[in-house]
Amino acid sequence: MAVAPAHAAALPRVASINACTDQLLVALADPAQILGLGPYARDNARWGGSADAHRYPRLSGEAEDVLVLRPDIVVASSFTKRATRDLLKAHGETLVAFDIAQSLDESKAQIRKMGEITRHPDRAEAEVARIDAAIARTRQFVARKRYRVLPVSRRGWVSGGRSLMSSLLAEVGLSNAAGELGLQFGGFASLEAILKLRPDFIVVSSDSDFAEDEGRAFLMHPALDHFYPPSKRLVVPERLTVCGGPAVADALDRIVSEIRRAEREAGGKEDD
Amino acid sequence: MVLLVALLAVISLGVGPVRMSPLKVLEALFGGGDDVHQVIVRQIRLPRAILAVAIGGILGLSGAALQGLLRNPLASPSLFGAPQAAAFGAVLVIALGLADVRSYALPAAAIAMAFLSVFALLAVAGRNAGLLILILAGLAISSLAGAATALAMNLSSNPFVALEIAFWLLGSLEDRSFRHVMLALPFIAIGAAVLMSQRSALRALSLGEETAQSLGVNVGSLRLIVILGVAFGVGGAVAVTGSIGFIGLIAPHLMRPLVGYDPARLLVPSALAGAALLTAADIAVRVIPSTSDIKVGVLTSLIGVPFFLYLIMRERRALGGGVG
Repeated sequence: MAVAPAHAAALPRVASINACTDQLLVALADPAQILGLGPYARDNARWGGSADAHRYPRLSGEAEDVLVLRPDIVVASSFTKRATRDLLKAHGETLVAFDIAQSLDESKAQIRKMGEITRHPDRAEAEVARIDAAIARTRQFVARKRYRVLPVSRRGWVSGGRSLMSSLLAEVGLSNAAGELGLQFGGFASLEAILKLRPDFIVVSSDSDFAEDEGRAFLMHPALDHFYPPSKRLVVPERLTVCGGPAVADALDRIVSEIRRAEREAGGKEDD
Repeated sequence: MVLLVALLAVISLGVGPVRMSPLKVLEALFGGGDDVHQVIVRQIRLPRAILAVAIGGILGLSGAALQGLLRNPLASPSLFGAPQAAAFGAVLVIALGLADVRSYALPAAAIAMAFLSVFALLAVAGRNAGLLILILAGLAISSLAGAATALAMNLSSNPFVALEIAFWLLGSLEDRSFRHVMLALPFIAIGAAVLMSQRSALRALSLGEETAQSLGVNVGSLRLIVILGVAFGVGGAVAVTGSIGFIGLIAPHLMRPLVGYDPARLLVPSALAGAALLTAADIAVRVIPSTSDIKVGVLTSLIGVPFFLYLIMRERRALGGGVG
């Protein structure tokens, strides 16, 4: 399994032990270059390409199975356990850590960085161009007004002003109301605080009615439903926004189409 | 006591992250005023207040009943691992991701585990176990429940489960809805009814097991019924709030100087004291200024543990006697 085909021998073989580096790696590398993906790669709620992940060995996210593979480069998050990173380095592995992308620009920079690691800068540029194209499409779209929206995740977690979500919203011409709550990087907001803030829309990751835990049940609270029925909720699946990978292009398109839908539904009620 | 609970419940409607004048709160409660305020009071704060009263009440009642059953003032559901075990049952449902957390699967699992834990405790410790044995067995059971919870956490496919469970174990009444009230209340009512039905048997038991038997009390079945009642009540409560400890320990002690040592007369006052305690604690967590909200289970433990230590100090002589 660790032996790469001869034609790929010249290219570095890479193992990824983090969900976000998984996405970047699969988008840019030749399949033969990929020695393994992290433990969450097969989770389809968080990655549109999870079906592809089954083609590669599933790594535990710990040092052990990576050491056995002897990759040329290991990619991980800067939030990967310190002990794991130190152990890998101590055994002579080349470890490249990726920060969490907090803006579109950082996302593009990460794609380029992975392009260099896999020695496919051309592919990286193509992905960046796809994001730029999505940004251009987004700019043609003009919402009726600069809506105040609040991205609310499970348990009332709100992405703050300095987050990838905020950067995406700003690109579409929406303002993140989290700043008014005093949340710069993000934090928990109570139901009452959200209702008092009265944003025009809330951004949620799913419109399912199944509460797998109390955190999700928060988003289905009758009080929140009262002011934010489906027509007031912009649904942007988590898999598009959880990492700053190539998926951010789709996230932009998705936000635009959700705003269009919401405006249509609101217009249908008010104008006709 | 009833007045105090009612007063605290009303105050609890008035506090929250959004400041509202008492007048506005009352107006909103009866369907007037601003739409936002109405929803905040009626759909966020009202269910919260109802749950605090009901859950505090059942915890106080369970504590009093267990103390009567074991004829031991240190008995309480949380000391013997019942809430921890109930939490494990609920966590198992969450971790497996099989059922909606707002469905009856959650209280059912919590109740089953609570029953199992108290039953195991009494089975291990035996009929007339000394305090030391009970506490040791209780410690073992709550450790087991804790370990099982951690295991469920590790094996779950839901990556947020660790955070969810961490919050769960702290216990909170935040942002609950009437769906949660509907979820917990039937079981709490059943548990309360079951415990109340055993009042006279508990009184007879306080005269000693033999006397009770001569008075026609079947001690074995009394034991089973009380365990069932505690399991229903605590299980239903834990399913919506997570584990909230020590209310069941403190409440009967607060009431004992007032109503005496008769376990039958202690039940209702203990329930009221429990309701008042939890409602007050739930108000306190909203009033204490902090960046993120304090969980009410943390507060009850912060107050409960010193109280428990004080009780141990007071009972030291009896404890020492038990060992030597």
